[in-house]
Amino acid sequence: MDQRAILDHQFTVAAYAITWAIQLGYLAWLALKWRAQKRSAASSRLNPR
Amino acid sequence: MKKLAIGLYAAITVALLGWAFYQAIYVAPEEQTMHEAQRIFYYHVPSAMVAFLFFAVSLAGSIGFLAFRRNRAEWAQISDAWALAGAEVGVVFCTVVLITGPIWGRRAWGIWWTWDARLTTTLVLWLIYVSYLLLRRFAAGPQVQTLAAVLGIFGALDVPIVYMSNRWWRTQHPAPVFGGGPDSGIKDPAMLAAFGWNVLAWLAWGLLILALRYHVERQQQKLAAREAQAALDA
Repeated sequence: MDQRAILDHQFTVAAYAITWAIQLGYLAWLALKWRAQKRSAASSRLNPR
Repeated sequence: MKKLAIGLYAAITVALLGWAFYQAIYVAPEEQTMHEAQRIFYYHVPSAMVAFLFFAVSLAGSIGFLAFRRNRAEWAQISDAWALAGAEVGVVFCTVVLITGPIWGRRAWGIWWTWDARLTTTLVLWLIYVSYLLLRRFAAGPQVQTLAAVLGIFGALDVPIVYMSNRWWRTQHPAPVFGGGPDSGIKDPAMLAAFGWNVLAWLAWGLLILALRYHVERQQQKLAAREAQAALDA
């Protein structure tokens, strides 16, 4: 494999990996937000003002 | 039953993403001038298409909020939740576009960035929607939703400008793949199939996280309303 092909491969892998990191990172953040919200809702039901 | 349907949809989406990845990497032939780096196209362009679609969802939600805010409070809140979900998930996809584009550009053009019309208008679009999200996150008061809706409508005006930018101004960015004249379009059927599968897969994924974001926002609105009511009752 020549140098150009190696660089092409590395750039392609980087683009695909970053895409997945962004998408899965956002999904994880959303899941954490959802979990925190569920806890907050449960505690507000248990301790009504 | 609802949980089963959501689980089934999520499983189909994951399978689609796997199949689309296989098509893009192993089935589609290597392009003759850009070689393997051209495969970035299969993530870059579908992400842009999904981002545009979700900014349109945000536009519809923003218009809905402004239309219903005085007489149908519940509908206004539903519209507002769609506006926020569309903007946020749209920003996620637009971020993917703005990162994968320069990576591809570095191999294809030898530069990471240039102030080309398509690149600049896409960056402006991203900045407008990031400012929309910052407004939603940090501003307080009864007018925030209204201000955000107005910003969301103006932000969406940039979408057709981004779409038309490489038709109106010919600079660095390649000519449109589709709808750009008689020479546009993907000629190789295997490349076209890989592209189609990736559009479908990323659309399915996008709709899944859009629905989840909408659900979280609606729950947040209901929680806030309950707490406000409890404070009034106390």
